[in-house]
Amino acid sequence: MHSVIRTLLTGFALSLLALASGCVTSTVDQMVFNEPTEGIGNATVVILGRRHASDYDTEPEFIECVGEHIASGDRSIEVIGELEFVNQFYPWFEPRTAPLQIADLERLMQKQPVVSEKLATLKTQYMIWIDGSTEDTDSTGSLTCAIGPGGGGCFGFGTWGSDANYEATIWDFTENAEVGKISTQASGQSYMPAVVIPIPIIAPVQGTACDGIGDQLLQFLSSEY
Amino acid sequence: MSGSTTSVPDCNWLLWLTVTLLLCLITGCGPAKVVVEGEFPAPTMMKLPLTLGVWYDQDFVTHEFFEEAKSRTESSWLVTTGQAQVEMWDTLLNGMFERVLPLTSKPGPGQLIPSVDAVLIPEVAELQYAIPAHTNVKVYEIWIRYRFQLITPGGDPIADWTMSAYGKTPTAFLQSDQEAVNLAAVMALRDAGANFANSFTRVPAVHAWLQQVAGNKQEASL
Repeated sequence: MHSVIRTLLTGFALSLLALASGCVTSTVDQMVFNEPTEGIGNATVVILGRRHASDYDTEPEFIECVGEHIASGDRSIEVIGELEFVNQFYPWFEPRTAPLQIADLERLMQKQPVVSEKLATLKTQYMIWIDGSTEDTDSTGSLTCAIGPGGGGCFGFGTWGSDANYEATIWDFTENAEVGKISTQASGQSYMPAVVIPIPIIAPVQGTACDGIGDQLLQFLSSEY
Repeated sequence: MSGSTTSVPDCNWLLWLTVTLLLCLITGCGPAKVVVEGEFPAPTMMKLPLTLGVWYDQDFVTHEFFEEAKSRTESSWLVTTGQAQVEMWDTLLNGMFERVLPLTSKPGPGQLIPSVDAVLIPEVAELQYAIPAHTNVKVYEIWIRYRFQLITPGGDPIADWTMSAYGKTPTAFLQSDQEAVNLAAVMALRDAGANFANSFTRVPAVHAWLQQVAGNKQEASL
């Protein structure tokens, strides 16, 4: 009897967990050349966010997420942290000065040989630029919270959508060329019902986009995938 | 035998409560203060073969901006950037020039400063900001317009130009208001450094002077 109740409770808890995250749909497109079939060996990869647009910035936490996804997927791949790299190469990778094309970077290396020397010391073979952002779209519903001497609580229902659009561009320093583009789009709807306690059911839109782009980059960089 | 005693109630706790409440009220009404602190890396670049004197005016060293609350729900802001300005410009200039000499007195005409090729005087000409109350998103933005004067060791002008810098809070993720303002200011200072490093030799008057200095040094070596 106890085991039946336990099974039912576990099932109920699992259903709640499944419900606690909203649904997300995502698509990933990719076009890559010169894939390193043997992996990247002891070379390093750096992933940087584009921040030159006036109306959005690629979120630093998204760049960190993609880096962690690659490093945890294949422990032999060394991913240099974005802030560490940008600080080491200050002021050449700030939003105002970051090269937009690989030819711009070549020109910079000719003008400032210390930049190419430092890149060689770090053994950086691939520079991956990620451009995009996650934005909240339409939101509806209303939620009211009140507090009094006897306690407090909320009542209502709110919902909002989120869209994530990111594009990764891969630069290969051995070829001095752009060797691939990977784009991902994800969208989802989050809900917040509240009967005394608000229960957020958040759609992991940015996380799904991170996994999508991270998986494709892993396939490109790793010999294990 | 007669006598009387008057008992005085112990009012110490009441006094402390009043003081504490007053202090709370005073601090509650005061502006939110931020002393800008950040990481300003040394630039990775070929150093210009020059000895540069640098003079920071008192207004520059103690630079701060104040935003007064427009309503009861908003708070006032006092953001001190002077110390961070000096730290950033010291780090940047030391990485850009072969030698940098901080000056202890303001250079002027008829006053010869030995052993420097030129003196740079930075100045914050204007500062504008957008806070979430203005923009409705938790991203603070700061614009700074600098004015630079480059003068000869004798105090004669070489170049006088302005340069802008912009910074905004890179992420609204888990930031307190103070941290967000600090980050926006740090981003603006980093942008100022990047803009200066990238544009200094392209300022027409500076470019002409650099060519003249290079020519003089070449002649002297012959």
